[in-house]
Amino acid sequence: MPTFKLNGQDLEYQPGDTIIRAAWRAGIEIPHYCWHPGLSVVASCRMCLVEVKSGRPMMLPIMQWDAKKNEYVDATKVKLVPACQQAVTDGLEVSSQSEPAKAAHATVQEFLLLNHPVDCPICDQAGECKLQDYWLAHQTKLKRKQTEPVHKSKAVRFGPTIVYDGERCVMCTRCIRFNDEVAKDPVLDMRERGNVNEICLSPGRELDHKYTLMSEHVCPVGALTSRDFRFKARVWFLKAAPSVCSGCATGCNMFIDFEPRAQEVQRLRPRDNEAVNKYWMCDDGMMSYRRFHEGRVTAGRVRATGGLVDVTPSAALTEAAALLAAAKKAGKKVGVVFSAQHSSEDNHVLAKFARDVLGASSVYLAAQGGWDGDAILRDADNNPNRAGATAVAAQHGFASLGTTAKLLADVASGSVGAVLALGWASQESAAELAALSKVPVISLASNEGALPSIASVLVPVATHAETNGTFTNRHGLAQQFKRAIHAPDGIKSAWETLAELARALGATIDFGKLEDVRRALPASTPTAQPAATA
Amino acid sequence: MSTIDTTCLLTDRYALADSFTYAVAEKAGAYATARKVLTGMQPDAIKAEVKAANIRGRGGAGFPAGVKWGFLPPPDPNKPVYLVINADEGEPGTFKDRTIMEKDPHRLLEGCIIAMRAIGAHTTYIYVRGELVTSIKRLEQGIRDLRAKGVLGKRPFGIDHAMDIHVHPGGGAYICGEETSLLNSLEGYRGEPRLKPPFPAVSGAFGMPTIVNNVETIASVPDILKLGGAAWSALSRLPNDGGTRLYGVSGHVKNPHVFEGPVGLTLREMIDLCGGMLDASRPLKGVIPGGSSTPVLRPDDLVHAPDAAHPLHAWHGKSHLDVPMGVDTMRNLGTMLGTCCAIVMDSSVNMVEAARNLMRFYHHESCGQCTPCREGTGWLAEICDRIADGHATEADVELLVDVSNNMMGNTICALADGTAMPMLAFVRKFRGEFLAAAREGGVKNGRLDQAVVPLLGGRAA
Ligand SMILES: Cc1cc2nc3c(=O)[nH]c(=O)nc-3n(C[C@H](O)[C@H](O)[C@H](O)COP(=O)(O)O)c2cc1C
Ligand code: SF4
Ligand code: SF4
Ligand code: SF4
Ligand code: FES
Repeated sequence: MPTFKLNGQDLEYQPGDTIIRAAWRAGIEIPHYCWHPGLSVVASCRMCLVEVKSGRPMMLPIMQWDAKKNEYVDATKVKLVPACQQAVTDGLEVSSQSEPAKAAHATVQEFLLLNHPVDCPICDQAGECKLQDYWLAHQTKLKRKQTEPVHKSKAVRFGPTIVYDGERCVMCTRCIRFNDEVAKDPVLDMRERGNVNEICLSPGRELDHKYTLMSEHVCPVGALTSRDFRFKARVWFLKAAPSVCSGCATGCNMFIDFEPRAQEVQRLRPRDNEAVNKYWMCDDGMMSYRRFHEGRVTAGRVRATGGLVDVTPSAALTEAAALLAAAKKAGKKVGVVFSAQHSSEDNHVLAKFARDVLGASSVYLAAQGGWDGDAILRDADNNPNRAGATAVAAQHGFASLGTTAKLLADVASGSVGAVLALGWASQESAAELAALSKVPVISLASNEGALPSIASVLVPVATHAETNGTFTNRHGLAQQFKRAIHAPDGIKSAWETLAELARALGATIDFGKLEDVRRALPASTPTAQPAATA
Repeated sequence: MSTIDTTCLLTDRYALADSFTYAVAEKAGAYATARKVLTGMQPDAIKAEVKAANIRGRGGAGFPAGVKWGFLPPPDPNKPVYLVINADEGEPGTFKDRTIMEKDPHRLLEGCIIAMRAIGAHTTYIYVRGELVTSIKRLEQGIRDLRAKGVLGKRPFGIDHAMDIHVHPGGGAYICGEETSLLNSLEGYRGEPRLKPPFPAVSGAFGMPTIVNNVETIASVPDILKLGGAAWSALSRLPNDGGTRLYGVSGHVKNPHVFEGPVGLTLREMIDLCGGMLDASRPLKGVIPGGSSTPVLRPDDLVHAPDAAHPLHAWHGKSHLDVPMGVDTMRNLGTMLGTCCAIVMDSSVNMVEAARNLMRFYHHESCGQCTPCREGTGWLAEICDRIADGHATEADVELLVDVSNNMMGNTICALADGTAMPMLAFVRKFRGEFLAAAREGGVKNGRLDQAVVPLLGGRAA
């Protein structure tokens, strides 16, 4: 690969790279606001100015006070170039740390804060704000403008998800470009000129497509905030776990940002992966964090005369074991339902359980019924792991999985005499599934749903934020995710719960650790390891 | 008084009654050159004449038009070439292009026809400042007449080179005069300058190769072809800067107006041609030579070029106002020729107020993309306001210099430089006045309102 020099260091670059992109690939940050690896280049913030050493530098006329002569004299300064615009050429020598470059960073930063409200104490971006970071890193002077700053629109509702603060905006146009170029909906633009300009909506429109939260995410400052996340948490109290979105079969890489003391997930945000989601996620995916806390099943449940009663998770497990033992004894065939919402690890142990503990079983796959896919990220299949569940079932000899409709038919015909179902998701509603309760139904679920609601026994299990696991996306890419928060007391991952259920039935499923399960997963699929840090 | 040669080429039809009509213009010679050129010359030969004419762009930057035309890529049937005429004329103090469009629109249209032939374009867009209603009306009428005569159409003068011209009223912002901003505005986008490269000659209007030229640049083309490039070039008093051009003078002279003269008149001659200073009791104080973005000159500043190799050596020891106005001479003087429309200021003007007036303009007109320009123009205006209104200290004068220095060269287009340069010149050449205002609680004499009222003929401002 060809190389160039940045701050004296040899760096490789790819043909067509700009200076900033080549540096970014190498993990070196040149300060920037308007540049974003996934958006077009506007080179307008001027924060990334660097000195390119080539031949005779172009000098610009400026003016200096000469105290000896007691008059102004001509001076010059080096012409700098924006690192986001300048293409790298072989052997190019670039400095982002020369005195002229440093001076430019300092003055651009000063200009940016000139009319900024600096209301960090009430700004949600504080702690992850480029203005704060670069003020510390690059600004050299205290505030030199003491007069009233320019005032602009504040707390403008851009749509159901986003609020705009014109005074905090640095006019980098990333939000405009994201909507134009990625979401393909040019709903944002700029109005007015000079230092009274601001971002605005297209007439008659709201920011209301399926990728609105990304506008907040690409905003380098606190000008765009998410109505969902506003005023909820200070980011420095949050921890991040690398994970994979469970919204659909695309499997966007993401971080789960959670409050460690409260063990509460506060938001999801994209984790860059050029091969899967680049830098983006959809709104529904980002909002799927709500499932980690809303409609959460935290107790066991058994059906008794007069309805369902709450029991401890272990009591529910004992009841489940009893029902399965009875079914086995009566020679009834157990219908085993895999889940396209659960990890391959969970489904793997379920497959093993079906084959080795229950013996002959009929197998099915429960999944949500699909949503609007698009050509951007969203897959029409709104389940994260249909491919993974199907693959581990096949590995255990279950070449094809029936639908839940088939399960209904098999229960009706009497060929299935009991049901063991993983997951809360199904295509059918509770009313449609009600006919299943003709036979004992054991549900292992983290959340409320149609299947848990008609169960004879409900054993609570961990959500995907509470476990390590693997999802295999629509392209067959197996992607691991890491646990963020702990499951509530007494609740374990589905695979651990199944291993316990096996023990309760007097059998052993030979997995002590997650690694044991992972080793047993189908070897053919490529595995992507999540990056360890936020 | 003076024996200044004021050759009339470009303006030779200005004085005719109804000079803007096709009938009058045609009778006085319009389109004779176009006919000759289109029927008798190959495009390369036309380009060679324009190159030989040494015509420097009349829009402000002074780039040689013949060289610019040479930047077009080789002809490609999938890439139509456009000619775009910059008639946005927004630079404060500049009002010359308007006279062409109002008094002799057919000279511009004839220039467009010859230029289209030379660069292989079939379409011209004339982007006219929206406020110039008469210019727009007269150009549109001219185009209708040309279409009716078949001069615009499939076969102008019988040759196989279809041509049409469209007038596009401007978007109402100074920045739309910057050529790439103009192209954005023409295409229906926000008038914001584009990143360069690519330059318009490679990717301009609608992504196609485009030549953007000023009104006067193109209106000079018929004369260049009529006289021949070399002969036309020789009309100038300066080398590498050919021909005659329009001079404009506004401000404190007896007869502010636009007139034609050879390239290389001095500012002093320009003032003389306008009848001298308005009021003998108020001597000349400063001249902004070519539109508000060009640094101000003082009559008492003398050229210091003792070295014989210095390009201004010939004027060593003379006043800045006695140096001939050319693209290169003005650059060597530390200012710019710009649009060659001077603003003359007498002793009634307070330079803090003059600077504040201009900084307000740039603050209002910055498109706001680039941080240094968006924030810098506003900051300079704010500091000037404070100095003029008496809310400043002497340190604020140095702040003007520092902010201007920090803006220089750090932006996408030249508006920021065109703000910083005149600001620096005002402080450099009239520092005492800025310090006095800062010290003495603001501008006492020559406040903007006082200076303007007499010019309005005593009417209340
Ligand atoms: C802020 C700004 C405003 C400008 N306004 C005008 C204008 O009103 N008219 C014009 O002809 N050129 C204007 N220019 C110069 C144009 O960008 C361009 O150089 C010119 O149209 C080229 O034509 P020429 O080569 O024939 O001079 C402006 C430039 C800047 C930076
Ligand atoms: S709202 Fe944010 S992303 Fe949009 S222009 Fe302003 S600072 Fe940039
Ligand atoms: S596209 Fe799919 S995987 Fe990506 S964020 Fe949306 S729901 Fe999640
Ligand atoms: S320099 Fe000023 S006017 Fe020019 S593009 Fe930048 S912000 Fe706009
Ligand atoms: S990052 Fe290069 S100019 Fe904004």
